[in-house]
Amino acid sequence: MGGLPTSRTVNGFAVNPEDSRVMYAGMRDGLFQSRDAGQRWGPIGKGLKDLAAVAVNPRRPIEVYAVSMDGTVYRTADGGKTWEPQR
Amino acid sequence: MERPLGNRRRQRRVGHFMVRCVALLGVLAAIMSGVPRATSAAEPSKAAPQNRFEHVHALTMDADGQTLWLGAHTGLFRSQDRGKTWTGVALPVTHAHLDVMAVAGDPRDAKVLYVGTHEAGVFRTRDGGLTWTVVNAGLKGPDVHGLAVDPREPLKLHAAVRGPGEGVYRTTDGGEKWVRVDDGPAGEVKVLASVNIPTGMGGIFLYGGTGEGLLRSPDCF
Repeated sequence: MGGLPTSRTVNGFAVNPEDSRVMYAGMRDGLFQSRDAGQRWGPIGKGLKDLAAVAVNPRRPIEVYAVSMDGTVYRTADGGKTWEPQR
Repeated sequence: MERPLGNRRRQRRVGHFMVRCVALLGVLAAIMSGVPRATSAAEPSKAAPQNRFEHVHALTMDADGQTLWLGAHTGLFRSQDRGKTWTGVALPVTHAHLDVMAVAGDPRDAKVLYVGTHEAGVFRTRDGGLTWTVVNAGLKGPDVHGLAVDPREPLKLHAAVRGPGEGVYRTTDGGEKWVRVDDGPAGEVKVLASVNIPTGMGGIFLYGGTGEGLLRSPDCF
């Protein structure tokens, strides 16, 4: 699981149903993405932190949601390049 | 000569003061309009959701990509506008408080959702949340921290139970009967997911987000 902060709690986890190798892990440190079934991870979603959960739209997997522990919902519609809080 | 100038200064000061007051009132009105107001669990809310959820545990989207389901310390919520507004969804419990720890949908049927709770085990709906059934037969404890639906066989699920009866349970009939199949991963389970990656042993992998990081195990235990 290279690239994830080690020995830290993973609160949220979601997978692209069209390509199960693409995964997202939500942590206090932010959001991390893997494209090889979890072998390597890299941070995405600059500024996201204290994440509690992640979800992928199964009909449109480039649409991903991350929610912080305090309830702020963030959405990307471009596979993670840009994120907007949902208000 | 000085007095008129002083009067003009006073008039300007009074004018500036009034402008500041109006501006301050505007700012206060803007702030007040964004202050979350207490709403009942069944009311939609456009206010900042923080006070409603208190603490978020889980999030999933239905098979149609239309509804987000969110599990929180204050219960179960759904959004049909991409997370902008949320509506509380009542579950049939006698508990005054219900902490929703896990939500997992059927990947082929948007009307089917499973909900794991801290206090009362697993609930299932097959009509998009209108009616709920408690599906706890075989679970040895009520504190369900993770639920995973098998993407290949949606009637097959795994549940991670904490505390009494701790372990991983499996059902192959949509929750009608659960069997304990494993001790489960080390560390507190925060989220559980069945991932359609073949193990080479006839099954797929079960991923667990835990207090020890992200772990995975073949689901054929």
